Amino acid sequence: MTRNDIQERILTIFDEEFEIANPGLDDDLREAHGFDSIDAIELLREIEDMLGFELSQEQKKRAMDNIRTLNQILDYVESLTPETA
Amino acid sequence: MDRRVVITAASAISPIGHTRDEILHSLQNGISGVKPLRDDGLLSDRIHSQVFGTVSADIDFDFERKYRKTMGPVAFYACQVVKEVIAQAGLSPEVLGSGRLGVAFGSTHGSPTVQRGIYETFFSKSQKRFASIGAVDYLKSMVHTTAVNITKMFGITGRVISSSTACTTSSQSIGFGYEMIRFGRQDAMICGGADEYDTTTVAVFDNLLACSTAFNATPSKTPRPFDAERDGLVVGEGAGAVLLEDYDSARRRGADILGEVVGFGCNNNGGDLIFPNVDGITATLRIALEDARLNPGDVDFISAHATATKMGDVIESQAIRKVFGERTPMVSGLKSYMGHTMGSCGAIETILSLYMMAEGFVAPTLNLDAVDPRCAMLRHTPGLTDYPLKVVGVQNFAFGGVNTCLLIRKV
Repeated sequence: MTRNDIQERILTIFDEEFEIANPGLDDDLREAHGFDSIDAIELLREIEDMLGFELSQEQKKRAMDNIRTLNQILDYVESLTPETA
Repeated sequence: MDRRVVITAASAISPIGHTRDEILHSLQNGISGVKPLRDDGLLSDRIHSQVFGTVSADIDFDFERKYRKTMGPVAFYACQVVKEVIAQAGLSPEVLGSGRLGVAFGSTHGSPTVQRGIYETFFSKSQKRFASIGAVDYLKSMVHTTAVNITKMFGITGRVISSSTACTTSSQSIGFGYEMIRFGRQDAMICGGADEYDTTTVAVFDNLLACSTAFNATPSKTPRPFDAERDGLVVGEGAGAVLLEDYDSARRRGADILGEVVGFGCNNNGGDLIFPNVDGITATLRIALEDARLNPGDVDFISAHATATKMGDVIESQAIRKVFGERTPMVSGLKSYMGHTMGSCGAIETILSLYMMAEGFVAPTLNLDAVDPRCAMLRHTPGLTDYPLKVVGVQNFAFGGVNTCLLIRKV
């Protein structure tokens, strides 16, 4: 999956699941769109569905601690592989 | 500190209507909200009681996703009636967030619909979605989901009480809210309860042989409180909310005062968890009268708990007679219109009583065609009766032996 493919899928998830349409790539998702920790947990589940494998607790914690923007989500998804799960 | 506490806004979602006008129309025209039990794909075809007090109003829950995402059906009901109460009272965000306004709101057991989904996931052969059982499902289903979804949606920062005592859930909410203001811990409380459409509750009472089964073909003919042909309760759904506030501040802001909570009685039978107890109920009614500094003769009308079970109605009748003597207040069982709306029944029956107080009439018990001789010592409301109600009592009793009585006076 290319970064563009991932971006398209993530934007669809944001639109359909979180009712956040076309967020800016560097928007602070919490500040600009009210995207909170509950949404982040839901997003991780969606990412697992998208990738077809389960994330480890460590991978999830890394996301919860560090991700604030859509670009960071794309970096994160690109870094994930089942081998590290 | 000992302050007067008044009710300044009220809203109900009930099987006999959502708006005040709809509910009054049903009460004045003897219209029942009991309908056939819906097929739930799980329990409904194994339940003997095929009737349910069903909310049929078409309600537009216009809530943003950021609020919806932590709400099961029960919280939708709760937040809707509270939204209406806040709008009626014109409460500002500053008041809601002052820390001096709290919430007392509960349900029988959170959201059984969401809980069912969780159990389906637990027992699914696929473990794929196991990890998804987390914060959202818990927030939607937990016992205090109504109270805290209310605080979240409306930015309320005061105290939270979330009673979950089955049929006394929302009468306790009102009673504890009243005490919170009376003794100065809060200046205002939004109080009530809600329960969603749920067949597991029906199954529980059905298994206890406590549900009505003889009127499945004619739902509006049941429940039949105090009637010789009564055959059990009918489970229902709904929500009710009232705003309680300190009398002086309500007067200062020119609020409409729907009634004053003058007394609250609450105790436990200290024994059996199911069977009602005449001594426990009698004591509750007396505690409420003493709290209100009223004599039995001051009470005009009793909204009885009256679930239409064989023994519950008899024991309640005996308790009323013991406390009020030969000439009891007029008594109606309002569940005859709606079924037993469980955690919301105390609030809904309080609101119906407030509406009748405002309009100056008393609705009779529906389906009371022939009074059971064991309940005949009460002064049953003899049909739709014009009456200038001044003091009403709202009685509720719950599994677990919890009893409540609220006394409300016209101001």
